[in-house]
Amino acid sequence: MTSAHLNRRQMLGTLAAGAGLTLLGSPNRPAFAAAKELVWATWDSNGHPEYVSPFEAKTGSKVKLSYLSSEDAQFAALKTGSASDWDIVNPSLNGSWRYIKAGVLKSLDLTKLPGTANMYDVFKTTDKVKDDKGATFAIPYLWGLNPIVYRSDKYDVEPTYSTLFDPKYKGQLAMRDYALESISLTALHLGIPRDKAFTLSADELAECKKALIAQKPILRTYWQTIGDLTNLFATGEVTCAFSWRVPYDALKDKMKVAMAKPKAGIMGWCDCFGIPASLADDKLDLAYAFGNYLLGPDYAAAIAEIGNYATSTNVVRDKLTKEKQEAIFIDDLSIMKNFMWPVAPPNYSDWLKVWNEVKAA
Amino acid sequence: MIGRPLFSGFALGRTHLAIPVALVLVLGCIVPLGVLVVFSVFEVDFDAFVLMPALSPRAWSDLFHTWSFWVLIGKAVISGAAAALTTSILGYPIALALASAPLNWKGIGTVVLLTPLYTGEIVRIYAWRIVLGSEGLINTLLLDLHIVASPVKWLLFTPFTTALVLTYNNLPYMVLAIWVSAEMVDKRLIEAARDLGARPLDAFFKVTLPLTTPGLAAGVFAVFALAAGEMLTPSLLGGTSGQTAMAMIDNLFGTAFDWPLASALALALLAALFLTAVALGFCLTRFKGARAVIGRGRA
Repeated sequence: MTSAHLNRRQMLGTLAAGAGLTLLGSPNRPAFAAAKELVWATWDSNGHPEYVSPFEAKTGSKVKLSYLSSEDAQFAALKTGSASDWDIVNPSLNGSWRYIKAGVLKSLDLTKLPGTANMYDVFKTTDKVKDDKGATFAIPYLWGLNPIVYRSDKYDVEPTYSTLFDPKYKGQLAMRDYALESISLTALHLGIPRDKAFTLSADELAECKKALIAQKPILRTYWQTIGDLTNLFATGEVTCAFSWRVPYDALKDKMKVAMAKPKAGIMGWCDCFGIPASLADDKLDLAYAFGNYLLGPDYAAAIAEIGNYATSTNVVRDKLTKEKQEAIFIDDLSIMKNFMWPVAPPNYSDWLKVWNEVKAA
Repeated sequence: MIGRPLFSGFALGRTHLAIPVALVLVLGCIVPLGVLVVFSVFEVDFDAFVLMPALSPRAWSDLFHTWSFWVLIGKAVISGAAAALTTSILGYPIALALASAPLNWKGIGTVVLLTPLYTGEIVRIYAWRIVLGSEGLINTLLLDLHIVASPVKWLLFTPFTTALVLTYNNLPYMVLAIWVSAEMVDKRLIEAARDLGARPLDAFFKVTLPLTTPGLAAGVFAVFALAAGEMLTPSLLGGTSGQTAMAMIDNLFGTAFDWPLASALALALLAALFLTAVALGFCLTRFKGARAVIGRGRA
């Protein structure tokens, strides 16, 4: 390992030093006289206290973490005004459009977010965070892939989406109980191009429904939460499933598991930060500073080392070990060409009906 | 104060004590139902994610033209009724045994009966997975004893699993309700029936069952409602057959933002469950002598 690479111990040391600076006081703190506290609504995996302590040390502010239960709950809270204490929120890249259309986010002044210059192109150029007039309302900051996780001792070749429909593996497969991903994944299995997998015609939806009904007898179950799927792998119920990376991280030291990234298209997830439309002006500077922090090296290094996630910027990539780069999918950046960002289609009720009919069949 | 005139021409009686609770119940039940009825005829602007007041039949039309919604409603009714039936069949012997047991054993019985209820539902679900799974206790035992050559897969993630666990989860409610009724039965009536030549089963069906019908009815209604509305157990243990109407309603309210359709489905489910509960109540009063027992509180 070269000195430029951070390992877990060095990372924890850095974070401890950051926390120490908070206590001693930093001479170079920017002044945020108007606001000293920021409430960040995010997922628990994105917002460990140690991830934000360097920001607190630098700014002399306190970041309060408000963990989300679901994206729907976050949207509903913003829409109904019941989340008036949130200062930074966490829309997903694929779901940003509904926050924008509902008018619950502030338009962002990109000149106050210089950290956006370091973003990978795929995130920098996305239109999903803009309205029809081109104004930006959210910034992608954290991403990952949803691979197929499988037992490498049970499969001779790396599984593809079609493996999930192969009767040869009857009773060992699992799909997520989620219309959007399961139907689009089936579309890829049927050969529908990835750029059309979320905008299926009625005929294509019907084809997917047929394939999903045929798939039911070979599935062990539909998984509900990622903890549920991890348990299914751990207890030997399932050997291959469309997944998140969590079961791989949890079980790689206990059994032979691996992640497959199908060439047909890799489902990605990406979290953005946004500022609620209702945020008071005196908190704006601190909110922008926090946005820049999420795009900067301290947060990127901490979450890569501890959480195994990559941020949307390249600021620490070269300082990470090859193993860590591989673990968080940034060793080979060409993978970004195969990204698919799940987008809830306008006729999502139809998708839900199809999924419901599949499950009721 | 009770019984004394509070205002001229108005006296508080014992029954008036129920007014605050009744008000809470009415407000907690009627108001949400009214909201559902109103929402079910609203429209949604899916672009702006706004519910728009309207008098639209769209949600009800979608409901009536989508067969899978009715499959889910039917599943809820069958699931609730099946759990009520199995728990009542299994619950009767347990409740009657507890009613005739010595005092110490009643205490032990209560603890055994209630302990599962104090563990969380998720804990129970994962415990069942450990018991019924491919590498679980039962399969390990069957394999070790060479009774089977490969794990019995249908034990877990099938409708059987859902039915088994719903029965297990709801058995305490049924047993407690029947037990309370059985404690109040005058044992001399059963002895008299036996003295007059009734066989044990005759004595049960002609004396014990009618006299404990109020408890049975309470148990049936409780178990039916709990099992029909269950969402976690079917989804985490029922495998590919685990879809429920409740989960669908959750999806429609949440991700799909189709509140009118979710409201219509919720109301249809409620109506189906209510009609089934009425039918179950009607069946219970058909037991010989049960109507007299249930109706004896009437003036």
